[in-house]
Amino acid sequence: MAVVEMMTDRRPPSAAGAPRAGIAARLPAIGRSLAGPLRPAISLGFVLAIWAGVSASGSVNETLFPAPWTVVEAFGEMAAQGVLMKDLSVSLGRAAVGFLIGATLGVAVGLATGRTKLFQILLGPFLTLMRPIPAIALVPVAIVWFGIGEGSKHFVIAYTVFLTVWFNTHHGMQYVPEIYIRASRSLGASRLREFGLVVIPAAAPHIVAGLRLGVALALLSLVAAELTGASSGIGYRLQEARQYVRTDRMFALLIVLGLVGAVVDQIVHRISRRLVHWEQA
Amino acid sequence: MQSATRGLVEIDHVAIDFPGKDGPTRALTSTALRLEPGTFTAIIGPSGCGKSTLMNAVGGFLAPSEGQIRVDGRPVAGPDPEVGVIFQQYALFPWFTALGNVKFALRRLGLPRRELEARARAALAEVGLAGQERKYPGQLSGGMKQRVAIARTFAAGPKALLMDEPFGALDAQTRSRMHELLTQVWRAHRATVLFITHDVDEALVLADRIHVMSPAPGRIVETLDLDQPRPRSAARFDEVQLAARARILDLLRGEPERLAA
Repeated sequence: MAVVEMMTDRRPPSAAGAPRAGIAARLPAIGRSLAGPLRPAISLGFVLAIWAGVSASGSVNETLFPAPWTVVEAFGEMAAQGVLMKDLSVSLGRAAVGFLIGATLGVAVGLATGRTKLFQILLGPFLTLMRPIPAIALVPVAIVWFGIGEGSKHFVIAYTVFLTVWFNTHHGMQYVPEIYIRASRSLGASRLREFGLVVIPAAAPHIVAGLRLGVALALLSLVAAELTGASSGIGYRLQEARQYVRTDRMFALLIVLGLVGAVVDQIVHRISRRLVHWEQA
Repeated sequence: MQSATRGLVEIDHVAIDFPGKDGPTRALTSTALRLEPGTFTAIIGPSGCGKSTLMNAVGGFLAPSEGQIRVDGRPVAGPDPEVGVIFQQYALFPWFTALGNVKFALRRLGLPRRELEARARAALAEVGLAGQERKYPGQLSGGMKQRVAIARTFAAGPKALLMDEPFGALDAQTRSRMHELLTQVWRAHRATVLFITHDVDEALVLADRIHVMSPAPGRIVETLDLDQPRPRSAARFDEVQLAARARILDLLRGEPERLAA
């Protein structure tokens, strides 16, 4: 952010046009010509070809390791029965509710602990100790507390999202560059204006990064929450497929989870880039 | 017009210590300075001589260990819009446009929205940035960023203005254009300026009075006055300025072991 550039006035202003320092830029010509939106397709095609090759060779047990075409059939079957769309919407709904609760609390508590010594002392170490507890370990507690209904799912997801969003917000607030505070105060801004117009925007890149992680974690903990005590949702459908040893359905569901996660992450990524447009990281 | 009777800065026997492992270290020995309203004072010295420490104390970012700093008789108790600051790193808010940055400074005046906007635009026009209002700091060059910072600081209507090597990160050409601009804006607003630099020519082009500092512990070793008409140019120094330059360079060079950072 606070990079001191040595530029002259006459240089045309350029900001977003900074050279891309991605992997593509460092690869030789062949690698570079393959850059762009085609890359994921090439990688997926490569893995798919190996998968198809192994399946076609007949050297693996089809029940344990289904062929791509069997997985496509299972996908079609679930889609035709309508369970896929229903499970997906139920699961995404749970993830969304859990995320909203966890993210709201995470940002709120992070703003408090990040800038207020008292809250930091009261809550900081406790929340730090809570962070290593995996979401799945909370499922039994959640079921005892909230039953096997929606409440326990929302709780597990919200909890996971909360800790990550809190952590990032807290750190973002702590590392607000001192020079912005100095500038704000010497320009006569009140503490309230300083908080709203300087501290929060300065921490925003961290907060937004935390929210993006939170979205990913909401989808991850969702499955943990649904694996026990659910009667719908992608996680439940996976569990059901296990009982009938339907590895083809499992694969289809796992692929759906992966695709949903990737799409949601891309959407969040685009939104977050707009939200903190000045951060050209 | 703002009268030049405002902006008397008194640095009344100020000493500053920093805590260290073996007790406090004196960063600035007892220093007494009086900056007359509307004057331009430069402080020059090698790094570590306490010049930024002194500036931070005047800005209210740092409490003196001894003595007191007063602006128009009122003790400095913390950062205050009466004492504007321009930082070397610009300190623009990257989430606001150039206009938004200037508006931020005007907000405390509680102006109606239209007037706020008009005054912010006028402030940017004054530093030659008309038409750049909607640009974000990340889209501006170093010189343009510092112009926005100058506009923003003057917009808050400071009586005194502190500048800590504000043009240190700019190339020589941009820097000399910034000197002209600063001279022009300063003459229009007549704030009392305290300007920190380690560039001798910069001090000679800008200041009415130059204090030369020496480190370990930081103190003022010599004071030179200049009354050459403005605008001045480093390419056309008169004999007095050339003599002053030689004297300052001697002072900075003369005590290498004591002046080194």
